[in-house]
Amino acid sequence: MRRHPEAVGTALPPGSGNRIVIGGFRGTWADVSTASLPAVAAALVETHLAAAGAAWEHATSPRETLIAGAGRVSDDQAQELRDDGFTLVRGESIEPASQQREAVTGRLWLLTSGSTGRPKRVAHTLQSLTTVAADQPPRRWLCPYSPGAYAWWQVVTLSLAHPGQDVVFVEAAQLDSWPQLALAEGVTAASGTPTFWRQALWRSAETVAKLPLEQITLGGEPVDQAILDRLTALFPAARISWIYASSEAGASIAVHDGRAGFPVSWLDRDVPGRPLLTVVDDELLIDSAWSARGFEGPLRTGDRAEIIDGRVHITGRVASDEINVGGSKASASAVRAVLLAHPAVVWAQVRGRRAPIVGNVVAADVVLDGPVSQAELTGWCSERLPDYSVPRRLRLLNEIPIKETLKSDV
Amino acid sequence: MSALSRDQLRTMMGDVLEAQGKTIPSSDDSPLDEIGFRSLDFSELALRVEDELGSELNFDAPGLRAIETVGDVLEFLEQLQLA
Repeated sequence: MRRHPEAVGTALPPGSGNRIVIGGFRGTWADVSTASLPAVAAALVETHLAAAGAAWEHATSPRETLIAGAGRVSDDQAQELRDDGFTLVRGESIEPASQQREAVTGRLWLLTSGSTGRPKRVAHTLQSLTTVAADQPPRRWLCPYSPGAYAWWQVVTLSLAHPGQDVVFVEAAQLDSWPQLALAEGVTAASGTPTFWRQALWRSAETVAKLPLEQITLGGEPVDQAILDRLTALFPAARISWIYASSEAGASIAVHDGRAGFPVSWLDRDVPGRPLLTVVDDELLIDSAWSARGFEGPLRTGDRAEIIDGRVHITGRVASDEINVGGSKASASAVRAVLLAHPAVVWAQVRGRRAPIVGNVVAADVVLDGPVSQAELTGWCSERLPDYSVPRRLRLLNEIPIKETLKSDV
Repeated sequence: MSALSRDQLRTMMGDVLEAQGKTIPSSDDSPLDEIGFRSLDFSELALRVEDELGSELNFDAPGLRAIETVGDVLEFLEQLQLA
């Protein structure tokens, strides 16, 4: 088991003078007005400004905090939080805890994305969420993630911990037009899921191309070579990184060479300060100092790892990858990779669809950026996949679907 | 939506075959194994019919194993729509 970071102190964060932009607010972290949270508080926020205030308060005083978008917490979960000693703070509204208790000083709670089921709480500290240690060149970051999500905290802690890391937050209503916002605000670094980047390039490629991006980061979903290549072509001078992280495992893999997957030599490598990565039965296991409390030790991530040409590719969830087609096993991630390799396909989602006789057939939804017929796409897949893996139902979508998490469950 | 006609079903079966570079023969007596129409193709055709109808077909019907010709496929799908 790797050492878990100690709880954070309450000295003023080094990045307290960094500038942040949220809607009409322009100021430093220290300028953000706070809500005077109770010692054990769940801040259920409607805006990034409220979330930033709660984060700042947590970073500068001893307390226990959960920050989440108000819409992510059901009535049942809200009651569970109150029963567990949290006072709920929704703007001006305060709902007291069912029973008061002492704060676990420094404890930060996150809600997982819920892509594997009902959202659950995982325990971190500001320090365990601060995974960038080295000095950083001055940058102005775009943060499009939902308040309180692990990726949101990654941007926030980077800014709190390092001088020169400004942040432009994207409110939910601004997500469709973020390139225009980023251009107006002089953003030089941006982090998002592959779906987020695909949607932006599909909708607003001209505006995106004008951004003076020096750093592009992808994470939260399988990162394929096609999206890396598109971004590299658009921003040849930028550093393009993909990060493997989860609320439970923490940020564990960072790859900066512009290639999908990470070198196979990183597996089973025991280096102090770095997570230990292993693959067992095609599943990625992580032992990291940045994991959530209670998830220390080799953590089964549920993510499928496939070694191709000396690189370890994270291709999707183990549980949902396999599609049984009449006894033959098709891989949803392999089919998706073939579809995305077609020059006209900008987004693809592959799943099994219940069908008579064979049990399931492979079905796919795609978004296109060029003239191509369904027959041509089927032919493209037939040349590259076994018969049972070729999508038998192809649905053309007009938009790239994206959820609040910036993912599309591919 | 009302049931698909035999001609419509024949066209859809032709589409399934055409996607694989094959052609549906003119005779309903043509054996499926000769034209290379397999269980996966039958499944795809059924899904196409379901999508067109907007409802699922009930495949808990006897006689599936007796489907050997183009005509058998069309008749079976006609019956399923009425089930």
